[in-house]
Amino acid sequence: MRTERITRPRLRLLGGVCAGFADHTGLPVTTVRVATMLLSLCGGAGVLLYAWLWATTPSTVAPTAAEPLPKSSLARAVSPAASRATDVSSGSARMKPDAPGIPDLALRAPAADAQLARAAPVTEILLGLALLAAGIALVASRLGANIPLAVVVPGIVVLAGTALAWRQFADVRSGAAQQSSALAVRTLGALVLVAVGILLFFVTGDSPNVWTVILAAASVLLAVIVVIAPWVLRLWSDLADERAAREREAERAEIAAHLHDSVLQTLALIQQKAGPHSEAARLARAQERELREWLFTGSSGGTTDLATELRRIASAIEADFTVHFEVVSAGVLPGEAPRPLVAAAREAMLNAARHAGGPVSVYLEIGRRGLELSVTDRGPGFARDTVPEDRLGVRESIIGRMRRAGGTAVVRSGPGGTGTEILLTLPPIPNESPAPLGDPHPQETSLP
Amino acid sequence: MTPSAEPTPEPLAVLIVDDHSIFRSGLRAELDASLSVLGEAATVDEAIDLVTRLQPRVVLLDVHLPGGRGGGGAEVIREAATHAPHTLFLALSVSDAADDVVSVIRAGARGYITKSASGAEVSDAARRVAGGDAVFSPRLAGFVLDAFGAVAGETAQTDEELDRLSARETEVMRLIARGYSYKEVATTLFIATKTVETHVSNVLRKLQLSSRHELTAWALERKLL
Repeated sequence: MRTERITRPRLRLLGGVCAGFADHTGLPVTTVRVATMLLSLCGGAGVLLYAWLWATTPSTVAPTAAEPLPKSSLARAVSPAASRATDVSSGSARMKPDAPGIPDLALRAPAADAQLARAAPVTEILLGLALLAAGIALVASRLGANIPLAVVVPGIVVLAGTALAWRQFADVRSGAAQQSSALAVRTLGALVLVAVGILLFFVTGDSPNVWTVILAAASVLLAVIVVIAPWVLRLWSDLADERAAREREAERAEIAAHLHDSVLQTLALIQQKAGPHSEAARLARAQERELREWLFTGSSGGTTDLATELRRIASAIEADFTVHFEVVSAGVLPGEAPRPLVAAAREAMLNAARHAGGPVSVYLEIGRRGLELSVTDRGPGFARDTVPEDRLGVRESIIGRMRRAGGTAVVRSGPGGTGTEILLTLPPIPNESPAPLGDPHPQETSLP
Repeated sequence: MTPSAEPTPEPLAVLIVDDHSIFRSGLRAELDASLSVLGEAATVDEAIDLVTRLQPRVVLLDVHLPGGRGGGGAEVIREAATHAPHTLFLALSVSDAADDVVSVIRAGARGYITKSASGAEVSDAARRVAGGDAVFSPRLAGFVLDAFGAVAGETAQTDEELDRLSARETEVMRLIARGYSYKEVATTLFIATKTVETHVSNVLRKLQLSSRHELTAWALERKLL
């Protein structure tokens, strides 16, 4: 499955249910819409289903809340539930084996493969029954027995139809049938067969009495059930999944609130008490950062991938040096962060950690002026000219990288003559934001 | 942040509002001698009551607080401001999400610092707030630059404009976001420290009063307005 949960996309015709459903199952939207229309004719079942789905499925923005959690050591250590969450939502196991309230035994199969293995015999059995019935009827009629063909023929047809519908259901469940045309043909076949069966009941009923009518009504009902059963079961399991996901999310929010109030406070206190350069403060900071990353993933507004990347680099460096990075970002980077820039930024931060330590500010601005990243430390400062040639740190890994990426790097004294400030810049990407005045250079940020 | 105001001879009356006693006592012990702690409060209701009774000069206010109507620090400011017109609020937050902070700023706090700041830094920030300055953390400055569209190149044409930053204010915010102290900003831009403080105060006013779409939409979303 491509998406973990059914979600309704923003771009919608009515409620977005059909589009969301189509995206979820891989069916073409048109097929789903037509099916919904057809179902609506079945005593309004489609309308009911639509309304129900509309009420129970979230809009597309929601999935961010259920994203897999970051794979930090803390997330692994703190919450086994977290890793379970990622497993369940990864799509390999669509269902919780122990999910309550699922009526069909087939749904209890833990994995899709097992599900398929279990479902396939049903198809064969049904088809076999149909063939067997056909054969027996044929032989019996040859032997001169009075076979009520009016009952046997529709029965065979219904059995075959059921088998096909079941087969389609199994494929849908396992996600094997991604060729939607084949799926549509099968669905149609099942529908036609069932309809023919019902029609035959009507046509061949030579004496229309109460029982024929009841039988016909029951057949119609059965046919509808057979056709929509796969979908209903599927929706049911999706709903169960969704409910489970929501429960996990609530649990996580509760944990987050608790940790926020107690552990983060304590970590902040330790940092405050222990002095900024001490080992205790460094450990507390590293833990705080990791915890924070776990707690607030996806909820911090305005962050870009690049800013997140910088924070990750910061915490990695903080683990090795007595340094404290304050990473601030403004603006959003359209597209992916250029690798050379990230590498150069990392080098600059490492440089600050190695030669200055203490508080280091990292500021990232992405705007009309392009991309600007500054790393400011409060250390003793150093002039680039005095750096020996053999120390490639600044010269090659920062300045050279930025030049190759089409940007610039400046190393200068920090504010008020104390410390060092490394300023990395990249020109704006031309097709984003109205092109700034005279930028003759073509975009060179993407390396081969 | 480096000290920019000389210690006032008379101790500055402060109130600590935080729901964690460990943090309160820790902060109390760390604050320097120029500050005298009048009391401590742990909930919204307690805080409103104490602010009204003790009339402290500065309240060190946690953003997340239990009690009241669930509005946290912002609720304290809104409720207590009318009863204590001379009290100023400095927001302390363990969360570095700008969202958390802007709610208290828009409610009327004069500044914001993170809880991992040292006792000296908190003391200095409290003094600066008492002295009429706004205290901006680098992160808040970054948020402001983002929210006011300054990074996208928008600049205010007149001083009265509330929805955009002037070119100078943008410069100042950018340097604060880079971690510069007010003094360093002043040196870098060749202006007086007092001028920097004025710019920062203006930005704070804009942050509180602006009807800028991003800010209001954001606030509405969180039921702050």
